[in-house]
Parts: sequence; structure tokens; C-alpha cells
Amino acid sequence: MGEVILTMKDIDKSFPGVHALDHVNFEVRRGEVHALMGENGAGKSTLMKVLTGIYTKDSGTITYEGKDIEFHNTREAQDAGIVIVHQELNMLGHLTVAQNIFIGREFKKGIKIDDKKMNEEAKKLFDRLHIDIDPTETMANLTVGKQQMCEIAKAISHEAKVIIFDEPSAALTEAEIEELFKIIRDLREQNLGIVYISHRMDEIKVITDRVTVMRDGTYVGTLITNECTKDDIINMMVGRVIYEDPKTASTVPADAPVVLKVEHLNAGRMVQDVSFELRKGEILGFSGLMGAGRTETARAIFGADPKESGDIYINGEKVTINNPQDAVKCGIGYLSEDRKRYGIVVQKTVAENSTMACLQNYMSGIFINKKAEKKVAQEYVDSLATKTPSVDQLVVNLSGGNQQKVVIAKWLINDCDILIFDEPTRGIDVGAKNEIYKLMNKLASEGKSIIMISSEMTEILRMSDRIVVMCEGRKTGEVKIEEATQEVIMNMATREIS
Amino acid sequence: MEKIKQNPIVKKIGFNRIVLCGVLILMYILFSVTSKGFAGLPRILSALNYAYFLGFLSLGVTFVIATGGIDFSIGPVMFCAALISGYCLTSYGLPTALCLVISILVGFLFGCFNGYLVAYWTVPPFIVSMASMNIAKGLASVFTKTQSVSWPQAAEAAGWFRKLVKVGSFPVGLVIFLAAAVICSLLLNNTKAGRYILSLGSNKEAVRLSGVNVKKWEMLAYVICGTLVGIAAIFFVGAYTTVQPGYGDQYNNEAIAGCVMGGTSMAGGLASIGGTVIGVFIISLLQEGILALGINKNYQLIITGLIVIVAVYADVVARRRKN
Repeated sequence: MGEVILTMKDIDKSFPGVHALDHVNFEVRRGEVHALMGENGAGKSTLMKVLTGIYTKDSGTITYEGKDIEFHNTREAQDAGIVIVHQELNMLGHLTVAQNIFIGREFKKGIKIDDKKMNEEAKKLFDRLHIDIDPTETMANLTVGKQQMCEIAKAISHEAKVIIFDEPSAALTEAEIEELFKIIRDLREQNLGIVYISHRMDEIKVITDRVTVMRDGTYVGTLITNECTKDDIINMMVGRVIYEDPKTASTVPADAPVVLKVEHLNAGRMVQDVSFELRKGEILGFSGLMGAGRTETARAIFGADPKESGDIYINGEKVTINNPQDAVKCGIGYLSEDRKRYGIVVQKTVAENSTMACLQNYMSGIFINKKAEKKVAQEYVDSLATKTPSVDQLVVNLSGGNQQKVVIAKWLINDCDILIFDEPTRGIDVGAKNEIYKLMNKLASEGKSIIMISSEMTEILRMSDRIVVMCEGRKTGEVKIEEATQEVIMNMATREIS
Repeated sequence: MEKIKQNPIVKKIGFNRIVLCGVLILMYILFSVTSKGFAGLPRILSALNYAYFLGFLSLGVTFVIATGGIDFSIGPVMFCAALISGYCLTSYGLPTALCLVISILVGFLFGCFNGYLVAYWTVPPFIVSMASMNIAKGLASVFTKTQSVSWPQAAEAAGWFRKLVKVGSFPVGLVIFLAAAVICSLLLNNTKAGRYILSLGSNKEAVRLSGVNVKKWEMLAYVICGTLVGIAAIFFVGAYTTVQPGYGDQYNNEAIAGCVMGGTSMAGGLASIGGTVIGVFIISLLQEGILALGINKNYQLIITGLIVIVAVYADVVARRRKN
């Protein structure tokens, strides 16, 4: 670890009704990987947005390379050498790798863009990172992991001195994460300061040198990673001890009635001849790699995308589901992995989002009974422990985990018996994760049946009663939790590839 | 400033709307000072005549804009409705009441047409309404054989419908317009239709995945708009008598200006009926003032054009700040 390159001191930032950052301290040294951790809504993103000039701080100082600075936009921050690699990739799929990396500052030969030079420069960047990507390849043809590496290359091409990784591993496979870590270690060798935001405790232990923890907009403390345990960090994050062991045996009786039966479902390349059963009170895990067709299967069942063939039975009765309306009538609820796009209506309040699926139950005559609507929304805000000032708050102002809870409330209020949870804890921190796990177990014990799609092996092993594994659009296996191990599942998940 | 904005009464009415009211009053004072004889009832009644039909257009298009769509056919459809129903009255001698129903029906059918294409065929609203604007113009010309239509005067027996606009110097139209605005406001804020229209304007896919028939509700917004345009036609002829085929486009811009000025977002999901009403009064007063000052009418086109741009830009800026 070298000298301190960046210091943020006493940073304070308020939004109407929220004290987002309360005198937060944070520093980065040259040649270190510094983890920034905290629950959703703890203020990590806000802090980084203040740093890169997206938000203006109310008070506090930022010292960078010995000088007090304040950036007014990301461009200024970039020029000074502070860049963010976002969780969501900002790439233009139809352009080549090199064109993407040098977008907005293309090399020119007269008025013509000099593609040859850009390809050469991109190649140099990749060499520096020891990665093998063809600069002339079209971006859309690369895997998510490779695209992320292009983002990193783009970041260092700005002569970056501090790179912020915002949950870089969320969409990567194990192998890709390994490669990412190799690059991060390389960058550390080159004396860059690295900020690493992640919710995955295992990664923090592997890759980082120090950990700074935030909670509810305040600075909790900074630890040296080697000198602390996982539990230390979690305790700092949530202020209490939480940990649950993986499930060892299913509590669902073998003769529990089948509530949902899917037979020979086909929907495009990603869903080919998928059949399975879901029993009452069961949590059925759907495991597999990215792009295995799990989400597509869920969407086809829910009627969100058209299906080509296949039968769906609910409580033994064959049903026709052509659109989400049919599915909701059948008592199916779908919680998407991308809640911003598919889950919530951001400009509406918590109450309005909560009753979105069953507004007809909250009408008096032709008018909406807003009192009853708010009452039921409040009930679920209380029972799900959703953090919101009131049910009249617009959901756009809630943090990710709390938005997720609003979507869950929507389906619970509609009294759905079959719930499809698609990556329910993606981008959600440990504390909120545990709450969602508890909630799922409670729902299952109350007789609801849950399909849980998850890319996290620990989550699958901890929550599922039974596990369906998919690979490249096909179901490649099914195991009971008693027989399930990481190896068994991985084996099935990669069956067709290898 | 922040303090005023946080005041509960101000919050309830909306800061934006209070500012607009201020603008309205200032404009009135300005015109009264610069133009002799502007102050007084006659000018106000004249401005109101303009406000009625424009108000119904603006109320209608508010629903469409709330879905994130747009309707450029409202002005020509209003003329089409007025021409077809007026032709039925003057040339076929149908009873006045029936002709008023025909006018509303024409608007309603155009609304159904626009809404169906937008919601079920997913043709962009811009294209659909541009096309139906021309269809409305063409249809009206064909139906009336390219002749203008003059509706009967108040003194005639068939001219009783003018009482909807004015009895003596009492502005009946204002009462009807405000009542309609209240109904629209209830519809938008307190019914299922309004809730879904606003929600799908904000995030259509999320609403669809909540098991809501989004196509139906999106189409309904256009149908409501069309119906209100049909009513607008009645108030147009109630105030101005003669309608000429081939016109009506200039009112699109004015109606949309009134709507976005009032705080309805062009991106959809946010709409304010109260704001639309004040916006319409501002445009109408502007029109009257320009008339009184003897300024060329073309300046009004320029000014309303600029108003739309400024209002939309203000919305974009506000949105960016929120994010």
C-alpha cells in the first residue's frame, strides 16, 4: 500500500426528507483494493456519486493528490483520473470493441475516423491488462464478462488513478470473476487506487486489502481485511449477528399436492421442452449459469412472452396462459430480476404500487378507495419492514431492497399462491437478503409455493427444497436438497457445454 | 423559496400552479395597462369563449399525454366534428340535439381509431395522429363538398345550443367547462382508468406484468380525448358560428401548450388537470390580448410555439434534477 491518494472527509449530503450521508469519511491509498460495504441505502452509491461529481456535497472536503477538489460532472472526474466501472454496462452493441473504448474521443485522420489507430491503441490497453480480446470484434458478440473487461480497459485508457468498481461481479460466472480478480490485482501492482463495491462477502475476503463499512448514511469504520472475519464485517453492516445454515432436509411432505405442473414447455431457443412440478409449500430452486433460460422459462409460464407449445396445469387443472392477466387470474405472481424495468412504477407511490395487481378489490363504486388502499399498503410496509417515510412516498425514492419489498407486497396483497422469484436478492445487501429469505420461508410455511431462480449457489442450497437445473434452454437435472451439493449442481449446469 | 415550497397548503395546490396563477393575473394587468379598454367584462367573456373549446381540447390531450403518447389530430378532428354535424343540421335539417350527439360521436370514433392503432397495433402515436389529422381534414371536406358551414344564430329556434355557452352575459360555458374539469380530475386521480393511464405512462411493462390489460387502458385514453374533442367542437361553433374545412391545426399547439404548461409531463406518468385549466386560461388571455393590442395574429403562433418548448424544457430539467 502506497500513500493516500484520495481522502473524503466529513462528507454530508441531504435530499428532501433523507439524510443520505452523515459526515462520512473515506480514503483510498495507491496500490490498494479498498472495499466499500453496507446495506442497500447505506449510502455507498451516493458517496461515489458525490466523488465523481454527479451530486454536489452539502459540506465536507475531498482531497485528491494533495489538492482540495470538487468535480461538477463525471467528465471532470474522468479527466482527473477518477473513473467508475458501472454494474450496468454502458456499451453500444453494434459498434466494435475499439470504437466503444474510444467513443467520444475518436482518433482522427483529417475528418475521417482512424479505426486502425483505435484498434492498435485498444490492443495496447488489452496487453497491459493481459487479456485477450479482439478490438475489431462487435461488442454484442462478447460475453458479459468480456464486455466488462472492455469497460475496465476504457477506464484505464483515461489514465485513471482511482477506479471504482460498482458490483462488478453481479453478472459474471465464476471463471469470469477469477479473470476479473487477476486484472484487479494487476492494476493494484500498477499502483492504482481501487474502490470495490460488492455484496459478496467471499469476494471481499479474497480481493480487498481494507474494508470501509457504512450504515444508514453514516461511516461505521475501516478494517484491514486480513485481520477481520466475515462476521465482523456483517456485524458492522447490520449492527447484529445474522447467519443461517444451508437447508439440509426438506420439510415439504412427499405427498404434498402438486399446485403447478409444466409439461413440455417450448418458447424459442431459450426454453426447450421444459417440464417440472411444483408442490404446495415448496421452494423450488432454479439453478444454472447466466443465459441458461431460467428467466425465459419463468416469463413464458407467466405469459410475459409468447410460448410455442406446452401445457400448464394448476391444481391438476389445465389452464391457458396467454398473457400476464391470465397468469394473475391463476394466482401466479412474478417478481422480476430487473425491478426498475419490470417491477415498479417509479412515479407512483408505495400504496399505488402495492395495489397495482388487484386494484379491483380496493374500489368503492367507480372510485378508488384510497383509505383502504393506504391501510393495506401500510400493513405490508409493517409486516415486510419496508423502510419508507410513508406509503405516500414515491417508490423512486426508495432503495433497491425496499423497492423489492414493494413488489413482493404487490403479489402478497393479491394473495398469489404461486410466486416466481427471479433473482430476488440481486443487488441487495446481506441484511435485506436475510429478511427476504426469512420472508420466503414464512410464505412457504403458510402454504405458498415458490419458484426461486438464483445464480448464487449458496442461496440455492440454503433456500430450496428441490432444485431444477437448466443449461442452454433445457432442463438438465433435478435434485432433492438432501442430495444436492455444489458439485452435483455445477455438473448439471455445465452438462451441455462441456 | 424552499420554505414556501414545503408549506402544506402550497404543496396541496402545487407550487407550479400558484406560479401559473400569478402569471395569469400579471398578464391581465399587463394587457389592461397597455391596451385601452381591455379591463372589463366584454374582453373577459371574449377570452372565455376561446377558453371553452380550447379547454376541452386540452383536457382531452392531457389524458393522451399522460400515457406518454401525443395526439396532433385534435384540432382538425374538432373541425371535422363541427363540419359534419353542422352540415347535417344545415343541409339535411336534422334536429340540433341529434347534431350535437353526432359531433361528439365523430370525436369519439376518431379517438377509437387513434387509440386502437396506438394500443393494439403499436403504431407510434406521432404517426397515427399525423395520419388521422389528414384523414379528418379530408373527410370533412368530402362530407361538406368543401363548403364552410355556418351554425344557426341564437335568435333562431335551432340556435338554442348557444345557451350552453352564454345566457345574456352569464358565462354558462365556464360552469360547464369547470364541471368537466372536475370530472376529468376525478377520473384521472380517483378511478381505475386514471390510475392505470398514469401508471402505464410511467412504466408500461411493469403495469403489464402486474396483470393489467394495458392495451385497453391505453386505448381508453385516446377515446376519452376524442370524446372531449367532440364536445370542444360544440363550444367552438357555439362561440364562433362558421367553420371552414381544411383548418384546425393551429389549435393542436395551443391545446398541448396549455397542457404541458400546467405540469403534465410529455414523458408520461405525470398529469395535472388543474394545471391544464390554468394553462388554457393563459393561452386564451394571450390570444385576446394580442387581438386587443392589434398585433398580427401570427405572433400568437410564434409565442405558443415557444411556450411549448419552454414548458417541455422545464419538465426535462426538473426530471433530470430528480434523477
